[in-house]
Parts: sequence; C-alpha cells; structure tokens
Amino acid sequence: MAERELQDILRKLKSTHSYPDSSSLLSKAKITLLKLHALTPQPTTPPQVLLAAREVFEAGALLSIRAKDPAAFTRYVHQLTPFYELPADKLPATRSERNKITGLYLLLLLTQGDYAGFHTELEGLELREGNGGRVEDDKYLGYPIKLERWLMEGSYDLVWKAMASRQVPSEEYGVFSEILTSQIRNEIASCSETAYPSLPISSTKNLLFLDSEGAVISFAQSRGWVIKDGRIYFPNQSLKAGVDQEGNQKELSQLAIENTLGYARELETIV
Amino acid sequence: MPSKTPHTNGNEPVENGVNGTKDVEMKDDAPASLKGGKGKKAKDGEEEMTVVVPPSKGSKLSAPPNKDTDGDVAMDVDEDANLEDAGAVKIDPVAKAVSDIKGNFPLLERAVTLFDARFSLRALRSISSIRKRLTPDILAQVITETYPSTSPAAKSLLVAVDRENASFTKPTSNEMEVDGESKASKTAKKESKDVIPEIEIFLGILIQIYYLDNKINQKGALFSAHLAERIHALNRRTLDSLSARVYFYYSLFCEQMAPLPPSPSSPVVSIRPALLSALRTAVLRKDVDTQSTVIVLLLRNYLSTSHITQADLLVSHTKFPENASNNQVARYLYYLGRIRAIQLRYTEAHEHFTAATRKAPSSPSAAGFAQSATKLLLVVELLMGDIPERATFRLASMERALQPYLQLVQAVRVGLLGEFENTIKQHSETFRRDGTYTLILRLRQNVIKTGIRMMSLSYSRISLRDICIRLKLESEESAEYIVAKAIRDGVIEASLDRERGFMKSKEVGDVYATREPGEAFHDRIRACLALHDESVKAMRFPMNQHRLELKNAQEAREREREMAKEIQDGDLDEDDLGGEFEGM
Repeated sequence: MAERELQDILRKLKSTHSYPDSSSLLSKAKITLLKLHALTPQPTTPPQVLLAAREVFEAGALLSIRAKDPAAFTRYVHQLTPFYELPADKLPATRSERNKITGLYLLLLLTQGDYAGFHTELEGLELREGNGGRVEDDKYLGYPIKLERWLMEGSYDLVWKAMASRQVPSEEYGVFSEILTSQIRNEIASCSETAYPSLPISSTKNLLFLDSEGAVISFAQSRGWVIKDGRIYFPNQSLKAGVDQEGNQKELSQLAIENTLGYARELETIV
Repeated sequence: MPSKTPHTNGNEPVENGVNGTKDVEMKDDAPASLKGGKGKKAKDGEEEMTVVVPPSKGSKLSAPPNKDTDGDVAMDVDEDANLEDAGAVKIDPVAKAVSDIKGNFPLLERAVTLFDARFSLRALRSISSIRKRLTPDILAQVITETYPSTSPAAKSLLVAVDRENASFTKPTSNEMEVDGESKASKTAKKESKDVIPEIEIFLGILIQIYYLDNKINQKGALFSAHLAERIHALNRRTLDSLSARVYFYYSLFCEQMAPLPPSPSSPVVSIRPALLSALRTAVLRKDVDTQSTVIVLLLRNYLSTSHITQADLLVSHTKFPENASNNQVARYLYYLGRIRAIQLRYTEAHEHFTAATRKAPSSPSAAGFAQSATKLLLVVELLMGDIPERATFRLASMERALQPYLQLVQAVRVGLLGEFENTIKQHSETFRRDGTYTLILRLRQNVIKTGIRMMSLSYSRISLRDICIRLKLESEESAEYIVAKAIRDGVIEASLDRERGFMKSKEVGDVYATREPGEAFHDRIRACLALHDESVKAMRFPMNQHRLELKNAQEAREREREMAKEIQDGDLDEDDLGGEFEGM
C-alpha cells in the first residue's frame, strides 16, 4: 500500500515544477520510505522499492541544486551513496542519474575549495569505472574534472569559455557558474596584483571577464586599486615589499641569534 | 594441565633429549624459513601487486631479543638436531613434515603454561618452512594423531581438509614404525584428553595456508570465518598472536574471491563488520597483535574499494598501537601515506612514505612492498616540486620496477609537457595498476611550472606567444594567466607587460643575501639534533649496570683514599700513583 503511495508521489514529483510543491512532495515521499524501511537499503528490501527510493533521492538532489541549497544536496548525495553501491543484480544502474549527480557533487566541492574532498571522490570514480579514460570522457564527470585541471594550471580563460559558451552538460550545472566566475575573478585579481606593474582599464575588462569599464572601476575600487590616467596601479604591491624587506632584516638577525644560542645549548647537553 | 606437559614431551625421545636446545633450533630456523617464504611471497606479491610481506617476518621482528642472544652456539646444535631428525625419518618426507608440525605443539603448550606469547610466535615462525610441504594427507595424519576420534574439533578440522573418514588408528601405528617408538600411541591417547585449543587454532592456520596456496578461496573464506568465530568463543589471551594470523589469512581469501575488490559487491565489503568487531575486541583486550593487524587489514580493505573517506575516518578514530611489530607499522604508514596523498596533504604523505620505506624490511622477500612504497614516494616528491635523487633508480631491486617513473621524473625535470603526456599514455596501464595514475595526472601543473621557470631563467624577456609555443598551450591568453599565477605562487620572479605581450624576468638576486641558506642550515642542524635525541632514547642499558658502576666508583674512591693515606705515610712514590690512575 505504502508502495503504491510512493509511486504516486513519484509521478507527481515528475510533473510538478514549482519548488514548494516538490519539496512538500519529497518530504512525504521520505516518510513513506521510512515506513517501508527503505531509507537505507536493507538486504530484504524489494528491488522496486529500492528503485523508487533512488529516484526520490535523485529528484531531491537535483531539486536542492536548483534551489541553491548545497547543504541539502550534500545530504542527498550521502543518502544516495549506499544505493549506488548496490550490486547491479539488485538494483540495475539503468535510468540512474548517478554520473550527473556525482558530477554536480564534484563541482560543488570545487566551488567550496575543498580540493581534498574533490580528489577523494575522484579516486573512487577511477576505480568505479574500472577501465580508464571513460571518466574524463563522460559528459557529466569530465566537466568538473577539466575545470579543476584548468583552475590548478591557471588557464582561467578556458574555464571562462567552458562556462560562458553554454557547454554545460545540463541546466543544473549552470547554477555553479556564477560562483565559479566570481571565484576565478578573485584569483585573477590577486595574480594581477603581483604580476603586472600597471594595467590599462580597457584590457583589464577582458582580463577579468567584466562587461564594461564601469564594472572594472567598481571592482578595482572594491579591491583598493588606484586608478590614474586610464590605468590601474596596484599600490599595495610595492608597499608590501618594502615592509617585508625591513621586517625581514630585523627578523633575520634575531632569528640567527636565536638559532645560534639554541645550537650552543644543545651542544652543551651533548658534550 | 601443566603437569601433563612433560608427558607430551615424552612422546618423542629425540625431542625430549634435546629439550633445552629445541627452542634454540626454532629460533635459528628463522633465517631458513625466511628463504622458504620468499618464493611463495614473491609470487603472491606479483599476482596481486600488493604489500604482502611474508608473515613469518612480523613475528620474527617482534621477538628479536631471543634471536640475538645465542648466535653461533645455536647453529651447531641446530645442525645436530637436524641430523638426528633426518636420521630418524630419512625414508619418509611425509613423516618428517608431520613431526615438524607436531614439534610446534610443545611450544604452544609452553606458551600457555608460561603465559608467554613468544613461544606461540616461534611456532608461527616455523610455518613458512612447513608451508611448502602441506598436503591434506599430512594435515589429516597430524589431526588424527593428536586428537581422540571422538573430539568434535578434530572432526571439523578433518572435514575442512576433506578427509573426514580418515581412521584414527592407522597413522599412529605408521608413525610407530618409523620412529621405532612403541609408546607413541599410548602417550598420544593420554595427551589427547586435553589438547589445548591453541593447537586446534594452529592447525586451523595451517589449513588456511593450504587453502591459500592452492587457491581454494571460497572454502578458505568459509573455514576462516568459522575459525574466527571459534577464537572469539574460546576467548583466551594466549590465542592473541594466533588470532592476528587467522584474520590476516581470512582477509586475503576475501580479496581473492570472485568479484575482485574494486567492484562494490566483492566479498571484501562483507568481511568488514567481522574485522571491525575483531578490532573492537582486540582494543578492549589490549591485544596489540590483532589490533595492529586488523587496523592494517581494514585500511587495505577500504583502499581496495577506494573508500578513502571511511579509511580516513578509521585512522582518525583509532590509535595505532605503539608497540606493534615493525612490519605492521611499516604497512600502516604506507596506507596512511596513500590516504594523505589523495587528500593533497603531500607533506604528511611524504613523511609517512619515507618512514615506510625506511622501516620496510630490507630482505629481498619484501621487495614488492619497498617498490610500491618507493613509487608513491617518488610521485609525492614530484608533486611537492622536488626532483627525486637519481640514485634511487639505480638500486638493483628497484631499477626495473621504477623504469616508467624514471621517464616521468625526467619529463617533469625539464618541463616538457609533450614528453610528460607521452609517458603517461605509454605507461598508463602500469600507473593505474600501481594506483598512482590519478596522482600523476595532477603533476601536469608541475610540469608547466617547471617549464615556465626554465624559460624565465634562460630569457630576460620572452613573448607570451613563444611561451605558448614552447609549452604547447592552447592560447596566448592561457599562457598569460598561467604565467601570472606562477608569479603569484612564487615560482618565478618576473613581471608581465600586457600591452606588448611579454614576460620580463627580474634579475635574480644573490641567494646568499636572503634567509634561505640560514633556513636550510637550521633545518639540517635540527635534523641532526633530532637524530641524536632519538639515538639516545633508543639506547638500551643492561639491567642494574649502573649499580655496578656505582660500586666501582665507590671502590675506586676507597682505593684513592687508601692511596692518599699511603702517600701520607710515605710508602708510595709518585710513579706508582700515576700508573694506578691510568689503569683505572
């Protein structure tokens, strides 16, 4: 009976598109699952219930991404993990959104700057696919992997292109674009501060992927850059270096004295 | 029960006669048994590319004192004993194997009566010499001779070796003839009343090994599960070191069964609850052997299905016993290093791998372990931006295994992206098998950085287009961003000119004007001091030696006083005095 109810809810879930409706349906679905003891897969759970449970969680995960709720999404991913690890004869992998959800999860980790988590997840993927190459070629999984590689290298233009040119594998991935854009913009800004003595405003626009020169100016002001004669100067660069030099000098002599005293003390204990 | 022990020894006069030396023989068996284990283990290692260090070694290392104490003397005795042994059973290798196996029973019994784990470890160590000769018939014979026909334990053991209808009388008489000993059957019956469970488990381990060597994994796993259960039910502290071994083989069986580890339905997953509960019990009972073995097994288990998060959690929630045997520590460090490397914590990973390679036994039987630890160490070093030493690749035991890595290092060192990708493509199978593939993929950025550094060193000014061509990058914009990032990360000292599109290197200042040499010097001094501290800590002093010294000092002082007195009296001249002091 509860099973039929679940199927009912699932059907409704697929047809609705408004967020509040879906979330109330989802919580209802989860209560039904709880009644069926299928929130986590048990050895006794019948396959069709497993399938339904997986669909519920997948729908929930995608929904929470659309609602920009990373915490809920992470929760759903963790709930899905035991289902994905079931052997194929218990729960066939067909019609599963597994790769899509894993890809989204990877992207989420990337935007949160959790590289350790990203690579941990990635390691699991390598083994899951068994034979190589396929992970990177997968439409959903390849995307975050490529992004990560470009980010680490510093090829920010490629990241930008990948996001801008509607290359995103599905609409859910678009949600992250905004976060990533501001992330790489900050990266580029901090790089430019050290790499360039000064920049003309017009080319900074392209460099930072901003739409207008006005946006450049406001961005520059937010980072405390000085704008003079149509060029941007990075003031804190030289300032920082000067302070560093002086502080260094003082510290260095002090450090040397400290170390030498330490050696002397140690020598005394040894001899 | 202790009173029965002499009877057991009376079983074989040869043994009884050299009872005192028997232990010595066992000790010195270790080197020989090591050699025996080598062949087997080398094979194992190749097949699964894992870090199975011969089991005999763990026990050997954990009981080193008795090895060192009697070196040469024991050797002679050993030969004697062997001669006698050989003389007695020259005709029949089966009987020899049987007697070898049975020779361990007194050891186990002594372990129980004296409550000393060293004796059971010694028995375990002799396994590798018996290993090659194990057959169901020999095992059945040992069982029938040891147990009375009514014993349920014997029944189950016999079922395990497929000899359930072996008769309980015939082999005994057989042995009688060979040994020419009439009392054998009688004593056998007498002792059989109270065969200690340690012997049962020991025979169980032998059966496990037999299954493992003959690839009867399904049955082996089933049998191991029963054995583990039995150990749990028996609940005897003297079983601790034996139970560690039982779990070790249990998990090996599971790894080799049908859906091999990476698949989530592999039996490896289903053994986890058993291992975890074994770990819990071991911790509660302060059973260091089982605890360390099971932690290592669990880590290996998790990593085989790449459940890195779980492995990490296990590490953070358990405490690896400090006095675990050296080999277990080495394995633990290896797995820990792998986890840390995946989590991008390279400094820690580097530390763990260095320690693991140093702790790894240097004997050729553990070459597999040393190799895979070194491979990972190399990759982690590269990831940290260091270039490994050339000498590492020249070691005879490593040279062939490290060949692909040598090419990789060369590509990274010169910063040639093309060559780097070729190497990966060419050896991707090897890297994947070694579990270093994903780590190596991360090296790409290091290659690029090295390339940029090379260019910044050689040119004072270079256009972005040239950088792009040299590094085979996709576009000039990419090159610009990459260079900018390199400057920010402190890889190179340079500045960019956006309008004219070139990179201008800054004059490299005098390195000796910076704090770098001071820091390097400080690091080395610190390392030396740490080494000194550790050596002081590791020093062992014989018991009560200081009292002896105190006594000597006191005597010397007294002598001195006497001398002073004599000098005062004018009996002694100055020359004598000097001599005396020198002598002291």
